[in-house]
Amino acid sequence: MQKTLNLLTLTAAAGLALLTLSLPSALAETPRPGLLSAGDYAGGPLGSELQPGRVQPGNGAVYRVGKWPTYTAELAAGPGRDATLGNCSMCHSVTYITQQPPLPAATWEAEVHKMIKAFGAPIQEATAKEIITYLQTHYTPDTRKE
Amino acid sequence: MDRTLHRREWLTLAAASTAALIARPAWAVVAAQAETPLQSFTGPGANPFWNSVGPYVTYPQKSPLLRLTDRPIQLETPRAYFRSAITPNEAFYVRYHLPDIPNAIDLKTWRLELTGNFKRPLQFSFDQLLREFRSVDIAAVNQCSGNSRSYFQPRVPGGQWGNGAMGNAMWTGVRLRDVLARAGIDKGTVQIQFEGLDHGPGPEGKGSHRFIKSWDVHEPILDEAIIAYAMNGEPLPMLNGFPVRLVMPGKFATYWTKHLTHIRALTTPDTNFWMYPAYQIPDTPNGSTTPEALKAGKVKLVPIGHVNMPVRSFIIDPDDSAPVVHGLPTVIRGIAFSGMGGIRKVEVSTDGGQTWKAAKLGRDLGRYSFREFGLAWKPELPGLQTLAVRATDTGGHVQPDTGVWNPGGYLWNKIERQQVLVLGA
Repeated sequence: MQKTLNLLTLTAAAGLALLTLSLPSALAETPRPGLLSAGDYAGGPLGSELQPGRVQPGNGAVYRVGKWPTYTAELAAGPGRDATLGNCSMCHSVTYITQQPPLPAATWEAEVHKMIKAFGAPIQEATAKEIITYLQTHYTPDTRKE
Repeated sequence: MDRTLHRREWLTLAAASTAALIARPAWAVVAAQAETPLQSFTGPGANPFWNSVGPYVTYPQKSPLLRLTDRPIQLETPRAYFRSAITPNEAFYVRYHLPDIPNAIDLKTWRLELTGNFKRPLQFSFDQLLREFRSVDIAAVNQCSGNSRSYFQPRVPGGQWGNGAMGNAMWTGVRLRDVLARAGIDKGTVQIQFEGLDHGPGPEGKGSHRFIKSWDVHEPILDEAIIAYAMNGEPLPMLNGFPVRLVMPGKFATYWTKHLTHIRALTTPDTNFWMYPAYQIPDTPNGSTTPEALKAGKVKLVPIGHVNMPVRSFIIDPDDSAPVVHGLPTVIRGIAFSGMGGIRKVEVSTDGGQTWKAAKLGRDLGRYSFREFGLAWKPELPGLQTLAVRATDTGGHVQPDTGVWNPGGYLWNKIERQQVLVLGA
C-alpha cells in the first residue's frame, strides 16, 4: 500500500517536472528568494489516527468510552529486563520507569522497596535485587542512554 | 521608499488587529512530523522545556496530549491551550494514581453514597443531584500538586510534569455542604472522607488498591467545595471524573476526587497511604527544605491540604517554537492565578528580569480562575532575548525568583523565563 502511494507520488512528481520544462522560460525561472525547501513529503501515514464512530442508542443510561490505548515505552535490553517488566507491570506500565529523570542508584533501591512496602507488590527479595540492579545499570545519571 | 510603505502598512495592521495574533495557529501543537524530535527524557539537570518531553498521544474524548504514563494514565496539556483563561475539556490534563479507570458507567445504577457517622446515611442518583439541589457555578484552577516537578534541582522521582498539569474550567454542580446537610453529620465525626470509582489491583489496605482523601470536618474548604457534574457546560470527560468530581477551589488537585462515589463520616482520623506519607510538604513558610535537612530528620511534614496553591504566572506567547521579528510588534501574553486570592498585578520583563512593566489584565472570572494578561512588545534587539513574568495576588504574595525544593516535588512557583529568538529582518 505504502509502495503504491510512493510510486504514485513519484509519477506525479515526474509529470510536474515535465510540465515545468514545457512552460515558457520566463515563468519557469520565477525567482523564489529565500526558498530553501519545498515539495518535501514524508512517506506513510505519519501522525494519523482513526476518528471515533457515532455513539449508538440501545445501551440504556450507560456512558461508555473506548478502551484506554497504551503507549508503553521500551525498556533497555539487558539482564533483569524480564523480571522488571513482569513485576512492575502488575500495577503500572514501565513507562513509569522511562519517564523518570536519571535517578541515583540509592533512589532506585528506595523506589523498589516503596513498591513492596507501601504498595504491597508481591516481589521476593532475590527478584527485588535483580530489578534494582537492572534499574541501576540502565537508569542512573552515569548509565542512562535512552 | 516602496519598501517603507509596505512596512508601515504591515505595522499598522499588526498593531490594530490583535485578532490576527489571536488567530495564530498553534505551531507547537502541529509538530507530528517534527524534523528533530525532542529528546526522550531530561535530567539529571532541570527540564529546559515549558512542557514535559513525552510524545503526543490520543485518548477517548481528548485532543492529542503529552504522555507521561499510559497505565495508569497521566497526560499533560500542551502550552498553546493556555492562551485562553478557560482550558477546553478535550485538552484538560489527566492524572490517575491507579490503573483501573472507568471505561463505562451506568447512570441508572450509579449512586453517590454517604455512609459512616451520618444521622441519615443516604444515596443520591445523578438525577437527584440535578433536581434536588441548587446548582452553582465557579471558575477554578485545578493544578496537580506535582505540576512543574521536572524543574526541581536535584530532581525528585514522580511524574515528571512540565507546566501543563493544570487547567481552568467553569465548574457546575451542587454545594458539598448541601449534600452533607441532607445526611446530617453526627456527633463524634472528626473527618470527611472521599473516594471515587477508580481503583487498583493492589492488596486491600494498601495505596495500590484505593485512592482516598480526607479533610477535618471543620475545614473551611468544605464550605466552598462543590460536587461538579458539568465542566465548561458539558458532562465531564471520563478521564476528568465523569459523572461527578469534587471541586476544591484554591486547593491542589489531589483533593479534587474524580468519579466521586463515596463520602464517609469518620470517627477516627484517616491514616491511609494517600494522606500519609503521600502528598506531604515541609511545614516551612514556602514548603521548601533541603535534601540535607530531610536526611537529618529535621523536617516536620504536613499534608499539602494545609496550604492553598501559591501564586503563579506563565508566558504562553511568544514561545520557543518559532522566532519573532525585529521591529515587528507582537504581544507577550499568558495567564496567572493564585489559590490565595485573585490576581492583582502581572509584570513582564523583556530584559531577563532587570526592569518590569505592568501587563494589561484580561477579564476577571473570579478569584480562583486563570486571569489572562498581555503586553505589547516591539522587539528592538535581534538575537536571543529573555522574557520573564511575575504575578502578585490580592493577598500581596509575589512570585519568588528562587525555586523551592521538597522531596515530593510540590509547590513550584518560581518566576518563569522565556528565551525568544528575534530575527533581524
